[in-house]
Amino acid sequence: MLRRRFHAMGTGMELVLDARPTAVAMHALASAEAELHRLERLLSRFDPGSELSRLNERETTTVGPELLEVTELAVAARERTGGRFDPTVHDALVAAGYDRTFDRVPRLGDAPAGTAPCGGGIVVDRTRATIELEPGVRLDLGGIGKGYAADRAAALLAAAGPCLVDAGGDIAVEGRPWPIGVETADGTLTLELPRGGLATSGRDRRRWTRAGNEQHHLVDPRTGRPSESDVLRVTVAAASAAEAEVLAKALFFAGSSDALREADAHAIPAVIVTADGRTLRSGALG
Amino acid sequence: MTSPVVRLYAAAAALAAFFLTWAGIAARPWAAPPQDTRVAAVGALEQRLQRDAALVRQIVDNRAALAHASASAAAPAPPVRVVTLPPVTTTRTS
Repeated sequence: MLRRRFHAMGTGMELVLDARPTAVAMHALASAEAELHRLERLLSRFDPGSELSRLNERETTTVGPELLEVTELAVAARERTGGRFDPTVHDALVAAGYDRTFDRVPRLGDAPAGTAPCGGGIVVDRTRATIELEPGVRLDLGGIGKGYAADRAAALLAAAGPCLVDAGGDIAVEGRPWPIGVETADGTLTLELPRGGLATSGRDRRRWTRAGNEQHHLVDPRTGRPSESDVLRVTVAAASAAEAEVLAKALFFAGSSDALREADAHAIPAVIVTADGRTLRSGALG
Repeated sequence: MTSPVVRLYAAAAALAAFFLTWAGIAARPWAAPPQDTRVAAVGALEQRLQRDAALVRQIVDNRAALAHASASAAAPAPPVRVVTLPPVTTTRTS
């Protein structure tokens, strides 16, 4: 079993490849790592030179296939979740205080956090390879980018054998079933994921305080401020890590009762941990 | 007075110098040699093929991305089960 750990996209990354240390395997690991760094340079809202930052500045721009694809996925997810997932939360995150890479966000601040409206038009034109944003709309792809990157890296690694890509908790697997731990309210549950992805969204990390009020990174697009859901975190399995990220956020914002009902109705494997210390499993987990 | 023979030689030399200069200028050594039309045609063909290849690549990329997006959105969740094996890694809030 080959493992490679490194830092990218503001979090710890791990590549796991079930193969011998041949030249092919080492090359696949290097390629997957390079792909994750490359996607970070394209999709980061904190890098003024990234393709995403250029789009947010200009409102309309010609973009590469990756930004085109991930934006298209995000727009489709917005429609599919009725707006509970929305990539237009950029300004709301900034207003809440998440205006720089998280390791540089002051954990305590006296100024109160603000809000900003979400929503607005996004037009993806595949023929011209352009994205057009309604004036004033800026995108944050943090809610889908790591899952998308994990899927891409896993596709590269899979050429060398069964693999797992852990992009800071957003996980993509290929080739064989992988046992993956999920934190519950009182321990760890292990799920066997045969393919696709697994992702966790929650307010147990990436938190800070403004004027005595706790803020976190999960901005509810319907209110433009950090969600006050009774859910602490949600873990979801889906056909891809990007889709798992989207569904985890949609269930988080739904609240525990509606989230469990929705997961059962759509056969979504989900583990929901509530803020009052309960662990709920959807029917798809048996 | 200069002898007629010397004047004849001088006139011949001047004539020769004139024709040599004229031939040198007429050859236009500063101008680029005329390009072979076949080479120019191959160059144009190469450029056209490169443009076509880029277009095809873009179309293929777009179709692949669209297919990927559609498949991801439409595909059902994989069958996941609870096991007692030690986990390879643990998911957490990203």
